[in-house]
Amino acid sequence: MRVTFCTDLDKSVVVANCEKRGWVQVGPEDEWNIYWAGTMTCRSLFSVDSGYRMNDNQLINHFPNHYEISRKDLLVKNIKRYRRDLEKEGNGLAERGDSKYLHLDFIPVTFVLPADYNMFVEEYRKAPQSTWIMKPCGRSQGSGIFLINKLSKLKRWSRESKTPFQQQLGKESYVISKYIDNPLLIGGKKFDLRLYVLVTSFRPLKVYQFRLGFCRFCTVKYDSSVAELDNMYVHLTNVSVQKHGGEYNSLHGGKLSVQNLRLHLESTRGKQVTEKLFDQISWLIIHSLKAIAPVIATDRHCFECYGYDIIIDNKLKPWLIEVNASPSLTSTTANDRILKHKLLDNIFNIVIPPSGMPDVRWNKIPSSQALGDFELLIDEELVNIHENSENANSSRSGYRWK
Amino acid sequence: MDDIKDKSIHHTTVKICEDLKKSTPYLNLYEDIQKLVVTPCVRADDFKNTLLRAMQENGLSSELRNNIYRWTKMKKKEVGPYDSFFRKCQIHWDKRIHKSLNSMCNELGINLAKVRSTNEREEIVNKWTELSNFEVGKLCDKFIIYQYITLPVFQVEIHKYRPVYAPKDFLEVLLNLKGPNKDRSQGEGLPWEFSQLPLKIKNLAELRSFYVELSRGEQILCVNSSLSTPQTFTAFEAERIALGDKILARNYAPLAQEYLKKGCPRCLRAKMWTLLLGAEVKGQQIAYFESLKEHVLQYDLMTDKLIIKDINLTASNDDQYFVFEDVLYQVMLCFSRDGEILKQLPTQPAFMQVVVKGKQNQPESAMIFPPSGVIPFHGFTMYAAPFCYLFESPVDLYFVFRAFYIRYWHKLHRVCASSQGIVSLCLQFERLLQSYEPFLWNHFKKYHIPPLRVVIKWMMRGFSGHLPPEQLLNLWDLILAYDSLEIIPLLAVVIVIFRKDNLMKVSTLQNVEAVLADLSSIAVVPLLQMALMKEPH
Repeated sequence: MRVTFCTDLDKSVVVANCEKRGWVQVGPEDEWNIYWAGTMTCRSLFSVDSGYRMNDNQLINHFPNHYEISRKDLLVKNIKRYRRDLEKEGNGLAERGDSKYLHLDFIPVTFVLPADYNMFVEEYRKAPQSTWIMKPCGRSQGSGIFLINKLSKLKRWSRESKTPFQQQLGKESYVISKYIDNPLLIGGKKFDLRLYVLVTSFRPLKVYQFRLGFCRFCTVKYDSSVAELDNMYVHLTNVSVQKHGGEYNSLHGGKLSVQNLRLHLESTRGKQVTEKLFDQISWLIIHSLKAIAPVIATDRHCFECYGYDIIIDNKLKPWLIEVNASPSLTSTTANDRILKHKLLDNIFNIVIPPSGMPDVRWNKIPSSQALGDFELLIDEELVNIHENSENANSSRSGYRWK
Repeated sequence: MDDIKDKSIHHTTVKICEDLKKSTPYLNLYEDIQKLVVTPCVRADDFKNTLLRAMQENGLSSELRNNIYRWTKMKKKEVGPYDSFFRKCQIHWDKRIHKSLNSMCNELGINLAKVRSTNEREEIVNKWTELSNFEVGKLCDKFIIYQYITLPVFQVEIHKYRPVYAPKDFLEVLLNLKGPNKDRSQGEGLPWEFSQLPLKIKNLAELRSFYVELSRGEQILCVNSSLSTPQTFTAFEAERIALGDKILARNYAPLAQEYLKKGCPRCLRAKMWTLLLGAEVKGQQIAYFESLKEHVLQYDLMTDKLIIKDINLTASNDDQYFVFEDVLYQVMLCFSRDGEILKQLPTQPAFMQVVVKGKQNQPESAMIFPPSGVIPFHGFTMYAAPFCYLFESPVDLYFVFRAFYIRYWHKLHRVCASSQGIVSLCLQFERLLQSYEPFLWNHFKKYHIPPLRVVIKWMMRGFSGHLPPEQLLNLWDLILAYDSLEIIPLLAVVIVIFRKDNLMKVSTLQNVEAVLADLSSIAVVPLLQMALMKEPH
């Protein structure tokens, strides 16, 4: 049996993993079984013009319209719609208290600019002393991001950059979100979490969470005073921004493993609150995916690995900041290389059926041995099997969350 | 006979009372008892009984018992026939270190100790919690160019400083110890082993009975035990937490020690260690820590640079500890100023007295240098770093770390005859390896690779920085539980034996080091259990 793979990314971790499995690299025009593609390649492959039809033995690492989750404005739109729909149904998940959603309040208050400008101003006036963060919707790695603590500053910025701003409006809008100004600090430093989540199907939803995420630390002390507002190193934790800081260290890359974060939190804050935090993280992952499930063009050939960026505040509440559909596979440190190698290896173990040959007719229920460092978060199919079966007292649960 | 016994108890009691009155916890205790006396539960007509009952009820009597328990731990003195020999060697080594410090000062044209300028002082006060970042450059225009120029007071010319010595230098000193009895035969090349030293150490059978709970293979709480599934782990952890909470409520240190033998849940470790070591932080400790900080602000000691340098070389570059570098700066700088350490160390190191520059004409111009008497070596920071996982407050961290140092860590970098000292531990490593893996031993010997060259850094640092934090804390639990460092050479030997197959394939020191470089996959408790449970050949 000859399995072939194709990739348009020059990433050693992809090629090494495929070759380790004895797969043969081929070009995009050849007969490939696995395509590890960039999002653009994937989109053009799925576009009507390409006329490409995949056969049953082909898999690709993106869903056609992944931007429903990775674009900041669309993610917010989808989550807002999801809440509204649940509310209409009278679903208890959408319960509110004090005007806030009790269970689905996991993204900071966010508006799309310029479209929601009036709504933003209304919200802004409620708490004029708070800080907001502006991000261009389509860009990544922290580019074009800045903070705003006065309405006049936003106006001035819009005026000053009039030409580019208006030009951008067509292609690229901004989101403005309430800034998490009480982040959890460790050693006095601010960080965000990068977690990896694998989705092998949206309908039914099948989600796996990778245990080996990491915290990305700012290399400069956190200081929320206004004087520091313009110092992006303090606020952004993307490695691509941090790398330009004078303090960047290539031995640890500013990254601390999630296991160590957990050790620290359990030791200093206690077991219960730490467990609750990690449960809430799993919860927000599931519900962010449920929010986009109805709009994703689901295709049996697709699977996707998302990079979740999460900030934890000092009350140990996690906030979803954004989701990346093509998380960086570049390794900044030795540990990073090990982690990313494992990630790819484990992804392939889950998406490839036991036969070793990609096959879309497979039921996509991997054995528990195949999971590696992934953990099943939800498999709606298994939930259904469970609910239908008489002896549902089996220990294996497909659904940890209500 | 009974008479003599009575007398000896009486003597011990008198001694304990004397010592207790001199100790720091006594002040706290005395104050608390005085407060208790004025409460209505203590009556003048039946003073003794009512006071004792009241003490029982509000935990002061267990506080008193804890103090006596810790006193007996500190007084546990071993006297051996070779003490004076080792003491001489240590003094000789201390002198070499001091000489090296002095020549570094001459070379760099600086003083060992001087008074800080007001500017410097203020800068440190302002940046006390972020000593890694003395920022002077300001940002340019709006979010376009972000250039950081950092020029910390402490970082100035830090590149010129070198660690005074590293574990391998210390090993050389140890290997050159000639036995007190006989002259070493003049062999070829470097001395290779410790066998000439007539120290009594435990063999495997003795270790098995000493670590009896481990040898019996009883269930011990650790995350990666192959014996347990996630479900059984959760249940066992819950059981351990329930028991641990009871012990903490009783506030009785010997129970905490016993408790640690079966592993400690993460969420109770900080409290359990604090109780066991008597390192509770109250107002008095906070004030004491402040006074140490004040000393840092006032005096510029040459060792400060060595401390900063060491943190830069170790924790700052370590992906397990870099987050905590600022906490470590505070803790390590204060540690060097703590005269209590010098007082409490059972074998006092030789220390220097220096005249503080800028204060020559004042009566109190002489200072013990550094006040703690401890000169940091390469990797010294790692004695403190793992505690960062357990405590958020530098003060809480400080007192537990200090207690650990006074009880254990100082023995890992001093020449002494103690069964807990590094010399005995090295010898123990050697004997264990020799007797249980003679082939491997001979393999090393054949290629002139002293295995101690590789493992000395593990042992001198108590494995800190080598094992991942979780595993390391499990190991340190066991040090406290059995009140012994002998677990360290045991673990070192077990790891070497565990990698025997790969070690037999290599024949250079460099390759041996490579085989033993990565300990990230080591599971401490299961590995130790395996070694201790195995039937002797």
